[in-house]
Amino acid sequence: MNKFWKTGEPYVLATGAALAIILVMSLTLVGVVMTNGLGYFWPRALVKLELKDGTSALGQVTQKEKNPISGIRRLQLKVGNRDVFGQDFRWIDEQDIASRSLPADAVLVERREHGNYFGFLKGVTAEGITLTGAAPQEQLQQALKQVADKRDDTRAIKKQMSNLNNTAEGLRLKLQKLEYRGKEKNSAEISELTAAREKVLAEFTLLNEKLTATQAEIGRITAQFTDAAGGSKDISLMDIIVLQHTNSMSFLDKCGAYLERVRELLLDDPRESNTEGGLFPAIFGTVMMVLLMSVFSLPFGVVAAIYLREYARDGLMTRMVRIAVNNLAGVPSIVYGVFGLGFFVYGIGGSIDSLFFPERLPTPTFGTGGILWSSLTLALLTVPVVIVATEESLASIPKGIREGSLALGATKFQTLTKILLPMATPGIMTGLILSMARAAGEVAPLMIVGVVKLAPTLPFDMNFPFFHMDRKFMHLGFHIYDVGFQSPNVEAAKPMVFVTTMLLLAIVVLASSTAIYLRNKMRSKYTTSTF
Amino acid sequence: MAKDFIDTSRRNDRLAEILIRIGGILVIVSVIWILVMISRVALPLFYPATARIAATLQVPATIISAKVMAIGAEENQQAVFILDESGTFHFLKAADGSVSASIKAPVIPKGAVRIASAEYVGKSAYNLLWDTGAITSVTVDLASTKDADGTISLAHDVTAQDDLAFPAIGSVVQSFVRPVEGKGAVRVDQLNGDHLRVTHQLVEKDLLGNEKRSTSSAEINDPLPGRLTAVAVDTKGHYLYAGTDKGWLLRWDISEPGQIRLLESLPASEESQAITSLALVLGDVSLAVGDAKGSLTTWFPIKVSGSGEDRRLTRIHTLRPNHGKVTAIIPSPRDKTLFSLDATEIHVDHMTSERNLMTIRPAAPPTNLALSPKGNTLAALDGIRTLTVWKLDIPHPEISFGTLFGKVWYEGYDRPEYAWQSSAANDDFEPKLSLVPLVFGTIKATIFAMLFAVPLALLGALYTSQFMSPRLKGRIKPIVEIMAAIPSVVIGFLAGLWLAPLIDKSVLTVFLSIIIVPLMLLITIFFWKRIKTASLLQRATRGHEFIAMIPVVIMGIYLAFLLSGLAEAQLFSGDVKQWFYSTLGVRYDQRNSIIIAIALGFAVIPIIFTIAEDAISNVPRNLTAASLALGASRWQTAWRVVLPSALPGVFSAVMIGFGRAIGETMIVLMATGNTPIMSWSLFNGLRSLSANIAVEIPEAPLNSSLYRTLFLSAVLLFIFTFVINTVAEALRQRFRKKYGRY
Repeated sequence: MNKFWKTGEPYVLATGAALAIILVMSLTLVGVVMTNGLGYFWPRALVKLELKDGTSALGQVTQKEKNPISGIRRLQLKVGNRDVFGQDFRWIDEQDIASRSLPADAVLVERREHGNYFGFLKGVTAEGITLTGAAPQEQLQQALKQVADKRDDTRAIKKQMSNLNNTAEGLRLKLQKLEYRGKEKNSAEISELTAAREKVLAEFTLLNEKLTATQAEIGRITAQFTDAAGGSKDISLMDIIVLQHTNSMSFLDKCGAYLERVRELLLDDPRESNTEGGLFPAIFGTVMMVLLMSVFSLPFGVVAAIYLREYARDGLMTRMVRIAVNNLAGVPSIVYGVFGLGFFVYGIGGSIDSLFFPERLPTPTFGTGGILWSSLTLALLTVPVVIVATEESLASIPKGIREGSLALGATKFQTLTKILLPMATPGIMTGLILSMARAAGEVAPLMIVGVVKLAPTLPFDMNFPFFHMDRKFMHLGFHIYDVGFQSPNVEAAKPMVFVTTMLLLAIVVLASSTAIYLRNKMRSKYTTSTF
Repeated sequence: MAKDFIDTSRRNDRLAEILIRIGGILVIVSVIWILVMISRVALPLFYPATARIAATLQVPATIISAKVMAIGAEENQQAVFILDESGTFHFLKAADGSVSASIKAPVIPKGAVRIASAEYVGKSAYNLLWDTGAITSVTVDLASTKDADGTISLAHDVTAQDDLAFPAIGSVVQSFVRPVEGKGAVRVDQLNGDHLRVTHQLVEKDLLGNEKRSTSSAEINDPLPGRLTAVAVDTKGHYLYAGTDKGWLLRWDISEPGQIRLLESLPASEESQAITSLALVLGDVSLAVGDAKGSLTTWFPIKVSGSGEDRRLTRIHTLRPNHGKVTAIIPSPRDKTLFSLDATEIHVDHMTSERNLMTIRPAAPPTNLALSPKGNTLAALDGIRTLTVWKLDIPHPEISFGTLFGKVWYEGYDRPEYAWQSSAANDDFEPKLSLVPLVFGTIKATIFAMLFAVPLALLGALYTSQFMSPRLKGRIKPIVEIMAAIPSVVIGFLAGLWLAPLIDKSVLTVFLSIIIVPLMLLITIFFWKRIKTASLLQRATRGHEFIAMIPVVIMGIYLAFLLSGLAEAQLFSGDVKQWFYSTLGVRYDQRNSIIIAIALGFAVIPIIFTIAEDAISNVPRNLTAASLALGASRWQTAWRVVLPSALPGVFSAVMIGFGRAIGETMIVLMATGNTPIMSWSLFNGLRSLSANIAVEIPEAPLNSSLYRTLFLSAVLLFIFTFVINTVAEALRQRFRKKYGRY
């Protein structure tokens, strides 16, 4: 006994327990995100509950727990039909339930507005289209198909309209510029442009009328549903995104539905103030911002590291600079955000506006947050990471290799480009990937310098000059903060946030594991065992 | 060819060297530039106020003969006006002193010849008291515009405000007229022989739009302690203040027509100096009092203990004393700045910050003083008829080192406090920008997080580097490093929306876990000792002990959860939060410091762990080998040999973790309620410097005091983390050097 304590074996166990706690915490984090995120898209059964008071409820069971006040077991039912019932969720005490069933004809309707609808299909009112099927279900499928075709038409019109809108906006800006430079001087040009703009606008109005007409036409095709409480509801087929008979779906059907939802998540636009639909703009914004940032941070970081390691004389100054650069990685990210706001947005952005776009003032062009300033701010934030990684990998190259190259008559620059940089590439890549992972997950500075809840346009499109550096953008990390903490209906938005979190976590973890793998591989290549 | 090649190579080399040097230095300079830039934005907070003489002009002889009742100035220092006793406004160009217009007051009461006194009531309006006792009110509009060719044109007008006019009542010393909102007007007169009279002139409109006028008047008969020397009325006509030559302050409630109530009378100072000047500070709450000795104080009513709901005037701020009798106090129309005039100087002080902004010393003692309607221009007329116009530049009068870091007595507060409240709905609201609650919040969050993270991270690092089997170590270390890459927004989200409700349901689990998990550990240790005797098992478990610990930890937490339900029902009558509140008086917020400790701790664990593990692993293996060879156990070696050698590195790991925790934004933003309160309670939220920046800066107007204060807090964060990291880095490099030779 005594010896056991004296040798300190119990303490070893205690340290082991500390590590165990750390690992348990990490696993919990990943586990919570995965279970909540992965399960969200799986079509869940629609349960019909007959309650003892004679009413019934239809919905998906989301939670079961003990009521903290009365201690009665209860379950949380997602009843949907927000526009009818007022709220998405309902708590039902288990003792009030008389019977449960899984009606095969229960439908889940995912709508463009007001969230999901749970109920039963009654019939289809088709105006202007012919339906051959007899059963309402067949009719609905046919009608949906036809509506989808018509919707494609409206999409084409919308696209045309957006192009016209862009042209009109471009003309308006040109006009503004001319007027700013002097009305009288450019009167001929101005009237010409005004005429052109009016023509475009007239065309736009025409298309708009056409669109409204088409939409009204489709809008007349509706389907009738009844909910569990017996109330009926007309839903325009245009508003229906997905219609599932969840309870009668086979496993394969469910897999198909799941994949369809994943596709929607990755490629579609968000709906219902970001709480539903896809994440495409946020993913696109994040990726583009990170790439843009790499364009700035990689060359500067590498050059600075080469300077520090290969060119600067190794004195007190270099050592201090190295410490300073190292520590910049530890300066809070919000400080970089504040700097970005003061220097990039108001400083440089403001100057650009007053020099090149004075006619648009006081509406700022570059003098407000945007993707360019965000990437520059993050580049500053991550440059130390690139510098440190590059320096480390340069330092790990044995001196003999440099001396060998120089002895053979190569210049310093040749040694650098032909010998050292190729050898250091894995290290530089590590630094780059680490910096990209950090940038992808960083939110605080972006909130100040250009990220928004909902960006109407992507920072890249088919309109000249393709890259719109002044545009604001959406970001996965900010999406999490915004939807999870600023949306009016947090409970309903939670699953979406978990999905976003999972996506962000997956991206970041994947990137950093690659970086760490690369680094460890490189390390084992150069370091030799000492003992 | 060879020569060409060598030349090209050499040229390239030189060129590259220059470029690389420039690039490298550029990056390093730009890094230093960051600090310079944010400091440059924050610095104007502390810039001194300046007054530049924009014009000095001699008043023309035509105006000199009459007595000057009031003067006024315009925002751009281009024009001034003089009101003489005949009721004529003379508008003068500041550039050359020429009269651009003379406009007679639009309404002159019957029988009135000259003005007895003129009172400036703000927003360019004057109340003129005529020698018959009648009062008229006028608004003076004066504006200058600069044309494209540089000539300055003036626009001036004098308009009457009929609803504030009062009929003649005989001669009075001084009068005040205030509009009563929607009801008419009230007039307060100081009569000869130290009497005060309040007259309400009310207008009621019936449904048909017929006006019914009624006048009620009451004289104040309260005995006065001394002779009246100064009188003031607030802008809504609710309170009347008076000062006497014996140094007493009196306050009446005059809001009810015909009913005047003396609220209090009290001595303003021990020395019973005569009160020479009274004025209400912007917002109508504080009263500025100047006395014959030159002292300048401000007062407002606060709750006094023992007097119930009654509020009593109390001296709040004592500003820098003037050199002699305070002859006039002019409150700024824009903020709580006061301009006070003594025999020779004009003092400019800010009330709340008690900051002396500047002292203006005119060439000759001024007789009249006026501020422009927005407070950008100061004009003074002296005894020798010289009018001086100053352009004022008072960048941030309410900010001083004292208001940022000390307790400040804000209007409406019962005592000086540290407060952060940057905005409110009403216009005359005074922003409260004390950084202390934010610094406190930052420190609180950091300390709690470090208490949670440091033991776990260091012990875990010790185990990983010293006891774990090398094969496993190669797997575990990258896992922890990947943990470091988890975005803080993810941790914050889980803490705020998953962990906080979970802990909210069962707070006791957290506390019980602290006891039960070690207890479980102890029990396991005893079991361990028994099973360890089997040598085969011993060999198998060596280096993998932590795996056995994982179920122990999970079981411990689960047991704590079960027990907490039991304990809550038995000991705390079913609701522990209610119990805390009723018994200990502690309020429980859902997003509190426990959540922060866990979430922020979790975020810094990987950083501390990685650096500490590196430091411990870098201790030369021959030290360990020697220790083991001498018969020390692996724990003894780790604890007595390895850890002391690695201490500087371990210390630097803790410091770097500390620096990271201080600046972390998203976790604190999402997992606390962001309430800037100062309490060490575990169950309350907090607001940190970094989260405060994220919350407030999108709303802060460019170059406002708030904007600059937020930049200042960024500078503080920068310097703080930079110093901590530099010390840590220096320690680490030293440590590396020490063992670098092995």
